[in-house]
Amino acid sequence: MHYDVTDHLLIVILGFFVAFGPRYIPILFFSNRKIPEWFNDWMKYVPVSLFTAIVVKDIFISGSYKFISSGNFDLILASIIVIIISYWTRSMAISVVFGLVAVMLLSMVV
Amino acid sequence: MKQIENGPQWRVTLKEAWPLCLSYTPIGLACGILLHAAGFNTILTGLVSVFVFSGGAQFMIAQMLTTTAPILTIILMLFFLELRYALLGSSLAGYLKGQNHRFLFLFAVSMNDENYAINYLKFVTDRNWTPKDALQVEHWSLLVWTVSNIIGSLIGSAVQINLTVVNFALTALFLYMIVMQIKTRLILLISVIAGVLATFFMLLTKSTLGLVISTLVASFLGFMIESYVSKRWPKSHLLYKIHDPSGQPEVDKEDIEI
Repeated sequence: MHYDVTDHLLIVILGFFVAFGPRYIPILFFSNRKIPEWFNDWMKYVPVSLFTAIVVKDIFISGSYKFISSGNFDLILASIIVIIISYWTRSMAISVVFGLVAVMLLSMVV
Repeated sequence: MKQIENGPQWRVTLKEAWPLCLSYTPIGLACGILLHAAGFNTILTGLVSVFVFSGGAQFMIAQMLTTTAPILTIILMLFFLELRYALLGSSLAGYLKGQNHRFLFLFAVSMNDENYAINYLKFVTDRNWTPKDALQVEHWSLLVWTVSNIIGSLIGSAVQINLTVVNFALTALFLYMIVMQIKTRLILLISVIAGVLATFFMLLTKSTLGLVISTLVASFLGFMIESYVSKRWPKSHLLYKIHDPSGQPEVDKEDIEI
């Protein structure tokens, strides 16, 4: 079976709805109500938890959702470099640029 | 107060958005190239970039199209992938109070992980940061993302890309965001817990649903530990601040009206 342009368009349209729903409904719900204090205190920990989860996925989880125990040393080393640079410079641009340069060089060596 | 000397609004927001735009360029190009290889034409690549606007989702569409997965499967996988946006929306909603429905619609349509990360940091640290500024940051990232996807689609298979290297631009961005978030030892602990839980739940669910579950559990743990410790041992080491070498005065939390 091969997909044609109509199928692709269908994927885009349906994809829009499944991407839009989770983005819109909580914003609409919570921004029109008084948010309880405890909920805000809970949500305060969402960014750091989510970002760590995404980074762990990028570095330690393969495309088929297996744990990558060996390899990826270039990514791990580059990550440490990025963490140190972010900590000292507090600059997103410098951190990202140095991270990219580091991973490029490391992927050639490691 | 600082905003006055920074010039027009688009420059203020571009100043915050450009590092993200920079990381989006190679990833957008790569994404466009992959979508082209999966048979997506350039117009559809532009449309999917605007209306789905999610790197992860678009890479997944490209990957699943090459294996001709059933459309329903693709959409279901997308749904699970995008479910985490519900958390982003919930945690930003407090800063978007009093906005009308049209604004909330526009804001939700172009929100994703990366511009959320920037906006969340700005809302927390800069009391002059307005929802309108946040929406502009979203639009800068949307613009750069869409344009680089389209260019990627046009240059198509003529280019060789190293996905590992390209993807690391976003990993680096999130690492930076984590470092910026870690202000107390407790937050550092939660970050470590979140990493362990994410691994566990992703291996268990074999999908990014694991991201959602681990985030919910880890953030709830953070909330529980904080309220327990600050009641029981207000002098606990867990609540110690972590040194910030930039020495910038921290914005007091009470200063910001949520």
